[in-house]
Amino acid sequence: MNHLSFIAAAYGLTLVVVLVFAIGAWRRGVAAQRRLAALDPRNATTMPGDAA
Amino acid sequence: MSNTNTFGPAGLNLHRFANPGRFLRLSGAVLPWLAVSGVVITAIGLGWGLFLAPADWQQGDAVRIMYVHVPAAWLASLGYVMLACASLASLVWRHPLADLAAAEIGPVGAGITAICLATGSLWGKPMWGAWWVWDARMTSVLVLFFLYLGHIALVRAFDDQQRGYRAAAILALVGVVNLPIIKFSVEWWNTLHQPASITLSGAPSMAPALLWPLLVSAIGFNLGFAAVVVARLRAAVMERRIRALLLARARNDLQNA
Amino acid sequence: MTRKRRRLMVVLACAVGLGSAAALTLSAFSSTLQLFVAPSKIATEAPRGGRVFRLGGLVETGSLQRIIQNGSPGASFRVTDGGASVSVSYIGILPDLFREGQGVVALGSLQPDGSFAAQEVLAKHDETYMPPDVADALKKSGRWKPGQGAPPASALWDAPDWNQAKQAGG
Repeated sequence: MNHLSFIAAAYGLTLVVVLVFAIGAWRRGVAAQRRLAALDPRNATTMPGDAA
Repeated sequence: MSNTNTFGPAGLNLHRFANPGRFLRLSGAVLPWLAVSGVVITAIGLGWGLFLAPADWQQGDAVRIMYVHVPAAWLASLGYVMLACASLASLVWRHPLADLAAAEIGPVGAGITAICLATGSLWGKPMWGAWWVWDARMTSVLVLFFLYLGHIALVRAFDDQQRGYRAAAILALVGVVNLPIIKFSVEWWNTLHQPASITLSGAPSMAPALLWPLLVSAIGFNLGFAAVVVARLRAAVMERRIRALLLARARNDLQNA
Repeated sequence: MTRKRRRLMVVLACAVGLGSAAALTLSAFSSTLQLFVAPSKIATEAPRGGRVFRLGGLVETGSLQRIIQNGSPGASFRVTDGGASVSVSYIGILPDLFREGQGVVALGSLQPDGSFAAQEVLAKHDETYMPPDVADALKKSGRWKPGQGAPPASALWDAPDWNQAKQAGG
């Protein structure tokens, strides 16, 4: 492949940004669900699945 | 408009589909499918584009940057349309989920616009000979990026959260004027950026062997974007419920003391 | 319900006002929003000598000459938009995509002799993307000469016979 460094940089950068957003959203969801369950177990049990 | 506690009976009755509990149940069922299909379809599209699709006759392999740049560019505009719709629903119908949705779309849209600008720059240097040129297309996309940043800042700019949402929604709606400018910049003015290869009116000026992986990538990007936004919105709804519960608990403690 | 309708009307009125204001502003500043000036525009109203601006157009077929000035490689060529053309000289490395028939955007200024001295030359490619074998087939069958402009529409690439393809709407 010619211009490989540019291609690798473009794909790598995209992957990093996407991972940051995806992992950030997932961790936020897990943390919120855990805190909510601690505060209000009755409501928290009705919510299926976490943000995986 | 002291409608800060949207879990009250008024909020529930007026906005049947905005019921946060219902939203959490529905989105919880949809989210795994969105996330998995987004990852799988994006991986197929990008793998196809990187390893299977042919190179371009004049650009060579650098054309493969297209499979991330173009879906990101489409999504940057589409995300802004979603932001504007949420803002409209917030300003006009006072939809209780709309403010949260707008606040969660903003950062994701800014991220995807940053990807669009960065990959465009990485594509422009080897092909055109410049990282950046102030032509109408690039400048208008940079303005889109700043609109997203302004929205993020405005949401958090006021002590009163409702005022922040209101101001940010107005900015988002004003910024809609930039969307047709981005779309038609390459037709209205002369630019370094080439015109669209894929139009509604005619056959695409792109060989099918390059077009198909691009479309698959674009679908994957859209699903992934939706998954991230839904996941953030779920977290935001739960965080709001946590704040309301903590507030109620503090009030109780105060009365009992 | 009426309050919601009123708010919607306010938003719509603002949108109409803002949209027309934006349209008027953009059309008023239209010339400054152009990235480059075309050769035929220079022929009618030439920018003052010495003023730095961008010249854009296609590299005229048969006009490209590699030159060496003080030991540095460069090129001289003519940039055309079909109506007029301007001769350009440039010392430096040309972008990979530079060729005759390709779009270019050159930054520089007009010299007293009417030629354009470029400090920077960028390649502007068109919106056509195709694999090398398709391009070779188009060139070999005589349907397209890259030095003379854009390739035929993609719908005609697979046409078995060029004359047939032309009748089909080429």
